[in-house]
Amino acid sequence: MMTRRFPVWCLCCLPLLLHAGGVAAQIDLAGYWAVESHQDRLKEGRGPLPADWSGIPLNAEGRAAGLSFAADSLEELQRQCHPWPVTYIVTGGFGFRIWSTTDHYGVANAWHIDGSLDRMPMTIWIDGRKPPPPDALHTYSGFTTGHWEGDTLVTETTLIKDSLLERNGAPNSNQETFRMFITRHNDELTITGIVRDPVYLEAPMVLAQTWRLSPAGSPNSQLDLCNPSETIEGLSDGYHFLTVLPGRNSSENFMAQHYNVPLDASHGGARTMYPEFRQQLMKDGYRPPSNYCTMNCCMGDVFGGGPKAVCDVHVF
Amino acid sequence: MMSSGRRALLVIGAGLIAQGFGVAALSADTQTDSSTVHSARAQAPFDPVGYWVSLVTQNWRFRMIVPGRGEYADVPLNEKAKALADSYDAGQDEAAGKQCEAYGAPVIMRQPTRLHISWASDNDLRVDTDNGEQTRVLHFGPPVATAAPEASWQGYSVARWIMHATSPLGAPPAPGAPTYGSIQINTDHLLPGLLRKNGVPYSGETKVLEYWEVHTEQATGDTWMTVTTDVQDPTYLRGSYSYNSVFEKELDGSKWDPEPCSLRF
Repeated sequence: MMTRRFPVWCLCCLPLLLHAGGVAAQIDLAGYWAVESHQDRLKEGRGPLPADWSGIPLNAEGRAAGLSFAADSLEELQRQCHPWPVTYIVTGGFGFRIWSTTDHYGVANAWHIDGSLDRMPMTIWIDGRKPPPPDALHTYSGFTTGHWEGDTLVTETTLIKDSLLERNGAPNSNQETFRMFITRHNDELTITGIVRDPVYLEAPMVLAQTWRLSPAGSPNSQLDLCNPSETIEGLSDGYHFLTVLPGRNSSENFMAQHYNVPLDASHGGARTMYPEFRQQLMKDGYRPPSNYCTMNCCMGDVFGGGPKAVCDVHVF
Repeated sequence: MMSSGRRALLVIGAGLIAQGFGVAALSADTQTDSSTVHSARAQAPFDPVGYWVSLVTQNWRFRMIVPGRGEYADVPLNEKAKALADSYDAGQDEAAGKQCEAYGAPVIMRQPTRLHISWASDNDLRVDTDNGEQTRVLHFGPPVATAAPEASWQGYSVARWIMHATSPLGAPPAPGAPTYGSIQINTDHLLPGLLRKNGVPYSGETKVLEYWEVHTEQATGDTWMTVTTDVQDPTYLRGSYSYNSVFEKELDGSKWDPEPCSLRF
């Protein structure tokens, strides 16, 4: 009798078994994704403006580290090929490719996001494994685990190497953590990222970015081969690291000089993220610059400016 | 008496049908039409009601202050729009009573503001802003047969829930189990307005598509709402203008601070 009943229940389970992979991978995130959002394109392209940390919840240590940053240090031979940390996925403005790997039963055990020019690839483990202990190796990719909440893939990255949160010197420590909520709406993919850093941030920094499915591939989703070469003569003697001494940062007033953004704002801090800070600026008498824009005026128009500039350049 | 072979076929068939439902429920386009039996309020997969505050961590200079003349970075505007923006005069528009033209639906979620979200009825979600004192109404449910809505700053918004799968085979969630989803909103019938207070225009032909997602971090209880906005304007844009806005849930309305529209700040 048992031998006759066994196949029936086996067959009953067949659809469930066939379906198992789908249950584990609630939504298919696979594909090439190209940046869709039109925000901070300048920041994502050429890089943020000098000493502009408005809206970044830097604490006093983070601000001091930012002001000691010398942009030329990125040209040092030993630093030219350093990738940006994992948070660059929402601050960098690049497309990427996502794919999953499965176990022998077809159940997804990880999602992978490839590297983009100067960001390392990342793996999001969704098989229930725990991250290594805090004293394990810290890398630019960090170590990421994830789980599904409805159709949203929720991730947590730890073991991140200390580097830069923004390319204008806003720092990140090796205590930084990064959470992502990855949600797909038809052909759009939105990532909400939450950066926490007990060393340099006084509040979580929450960012969001949207990508569009790009069947033809994403032009920015390939790793660049970096070959360092001396661009500033005598910069890389192997003994010195460029830095700016306290009180000597000549770019500290860049935003005030060019955009009338007061130092209080460009220095960042949690309060600069909230609407009431705008009211404070109003009370302090902010006025827009009186002259016509002369640089970075249009989308993609990095070098041009002035009323005669043509605003139909599409790409950085 | 049913033979074991026939019974097996029936079981397989039932299983495959069940799986069919499951696959449908788990596909990327899983969308439950909210115009069915239950009200939008009853169907809500998350509770949007309460007070929310903008977190201006991106595009700070174009959101928190009025950018200077000619600062059009990030907006895919065409030459016609640029010419209009170059000749923009805030004083003229103020005199014409257009103080709220930079607070229309295409950009209201971009303003540094607090939101107060409440149910105006079982199928109408009301969204008030303190900055600019605007009110949006998101209409869920079947369309109400009335005359075409009049154009306004906030236009007419049709909303629906996008329900996320919560369990295998698309079965309803167990009582008390968390539910997930987002809101899709389509807005039109807009008055012409400004995408930026330095004169970047949008036309009355503009249509806005939004997705609102709410994320709660289990460990901290922190809750954020991410709004993805796509603005389509055949008159002044070369393509879709897309951006994200993030809001943080607040405990109460103690920081609610109404402030009238201004083209100067």
